[in-house]
Amino acid sequence: MEKLHFNFDTKDAISKPVHVGVVASGDLEVIFRPTDKETEVNIVTGSDGFKEVWGNVLKRFFDRYPIQANIEINDFGSTPGVVNLRLTQALEELKDEK
Amino acid sequence: MKNSFVELHARERALSLLDANTAREIVGPLDDMISPHLEPQDIVPESDDGIVLMRGKIEGKQVLIVSIEGKFQGGGIGEVSGAKIVAALEKVLEENKNGNTIYPIIVLDTGGVRLQEANYGLLSISEIQNVVIALKKFVPVIGLVPGRVGSFGGMSITASILSYLIATNKARIALNGPEVIEQEAGVREFDSSDKDLIWDTLGTKQRQATDLVDEVVDDSVDSIKESIVNEIKAKKDAHRTENVDFYLSLLDKLDLNKKLDIDSYNKLFQSVVATEHRIPEAVVGEKEGTKSRGRLWFEKLTGIKNATSPVSTVLHAQKDGKEFIAIVPDADNKFPRVREGEVGLQEGFAVASIVNQIVAEDKDKDVKRPIVLVVDVPSQAYGYQEELIGIHVALGSSAAAYAKARQAGHPVIDFIPGDAVSGGFLAHGLQSNRMIALDDDSITIQAMSKASAARITQRTIAELEEATKHVPAMAYDIDNYEKLGALYKLVKGIGSWEATDENIDKIKELINQAIDSLDGDTSLHFRYQTEIAKSSGRKSTLQVRKLVDEEWSK
Repeated sequence: MEKLHFNFDTKDAISKPVHVGVVASGDLEVIFRPTDKETEVNIVTGSDGFKEVWGNVLKRFFDRYPIQANIEINDFGSTPGVVNLRLTQALEELKDEK
Repeated sequence: MKNSFVELHARERALSLLDANTAREIVGPLDDMISPHLEPQDIVPESDDGIVLMRGKIEGKQVLIVSIEGKFQGGGIGEVSGAKIVAALEKVLEENKNGNTIYPIIVLDTGGVRLQEANYGLLSISEIQNVVIALKKFVPVIGLVPGRVGSFGGMSITASILSYLIATNKARIALNGPEVIEQEAGVREFDSSDKDLIWDTLGTKQRQATDLVDEVVDDSVDSIKESIVNEIKAKKDAHRTENVDFYLSLLDKLDLNKKLDIDSYNKLFQSVVATEHRIPEAVVGEKEGTKSRGRLWFEKLTGIKNATSPVSTVLHAQKDGKEFIAIVPDADNKFPRVREGEVGLQEGFAVASIVNQIVAEDKDKDVKRPIVLVVDVPSQAYGYQEELIGIHVALGSSAAAYAKARQAGHPVIDFIPGDAVSGGFLAHGLQSNRMIALDDDSITIQAMSKASAARITQRTIAELEEATKHVPAMAYDIDNYEKLGALYKLVKGIGSWEATDENIDKIKELINQAIDSLDGDTSLHFRYQTEIAKSSGRKSTLQVRKLVDEEWSK
């Protein structure tokens, strides 16, 4: 298990907290929370040694969607594709007016 | 598969069953109620700890769905996850008592105790069983076992206690998983690589054939919802843990000289006629019984030398107005898997029979007889025929009997001079409202042997032992157990084998004090209320209970 921490300088405020995903094998859960501070990503991952890969996946995500949020990720060995999918799903949840 | 229920995650499962726009989650992933015990063991936690509590309506009727996430840590029950279930079900109980009918539905997809929080898992599961028994007086408690995990371990015992059990053919129900049986009893007892054998024995089809599952449904959201709706209307109760005479009669007829196969068991099951079984009090015997700490203290506390009983492993007797019950080893037992004092089929059903009898006899009395459990159970029995017949029902029967006795007002007190392990402890010990234990290094309190726990959690024994140093709930000794706060008294200075006259008097006095301390308390809440529990042992439990309380009627 490894804990990772990233910061991003993004400014698009989000309206509400959202949660998607499950900490199942090859999967992860993602929580977005609104914040007025710097965007922060805290990751707990079961697969050690992938800090650089996480950094790349997150940078691509924030380049495209510069949301300002406090993000928590609990990961149980998901691939970069799955990580990107869950992050995008969380964005979808934000749009969902329910 | 189109519209499959099994393929859904726990949260989606709960939502799929509820009427549109009625769902409200209690203590959800945004509440940050994470297990504090996983990260110290290098395990990634989940924000809901694998339990989804969803209030809502099904065809206009109020329900609470407890949905266990089988994909997170095998659906294992730890401190936070267990406390979520217990606290929410206690709310449902309170509502029903106040005339507000809410139907509890439990989606079981669980391996039972989460081995990384072993002793919390056992405590929580006994608390779940306790509240289920209380709820059944008001509403049916519906269980659904969709698969893929199924319902194993302590939660199979819980499943046996539920009013009505629905399953798909992707589910299995058993106390001990095949890998654990193979680890504990050898590959000849149960070959865990033989998938056909496993499914034929533990799968839904066989379980339905012997009344261990009440209804088999297709794996689709619609058919599962339909059967739940029907069950809410019909309010059926299988009374699965009340067939004690039937099972004791069945065990009488069992031929233990040959390995039981499924066809002959099913024929036997169909042919058995239940006859009344009453287990008489133990009497003085001529021959010394197989030595154990449990037997030693039972004999000294009751004054019965070489105590013997027609069920050689189950001793009970009245003394000083109290009923003492012990499960003991018998090296010559005809059931090979209980020769070391494990709790097997006969033990579970016999204890249930004794306790049910006590409750019936005291039914109209103002003051109910105290029941003192002498606890020395190294585990449940690990065996193939035990699983085929349904050892989870045997253990469920005795757990249910003790819970009912306590809820009826009988003080139920544990005296623990020996081991208190796993399903054995759930069946004989964990339904007590006060626990007294000896502070002796030889005592093991746990959910699984180190060899099996290491195999199931895919760690080495060395890694497992390392974890026990940081996490008291993982440990195997009584001193770490005390740190959880569940004990009424840890008795220093009396060894497990030191049943001298003076020590017997001390223990008797402590038992009396424990009974006096009850003051009408019939609950299991004492475990959260001790100083140790409040300051450290059950901190997360108490936090969960507070959150559930705050969010329940928001």
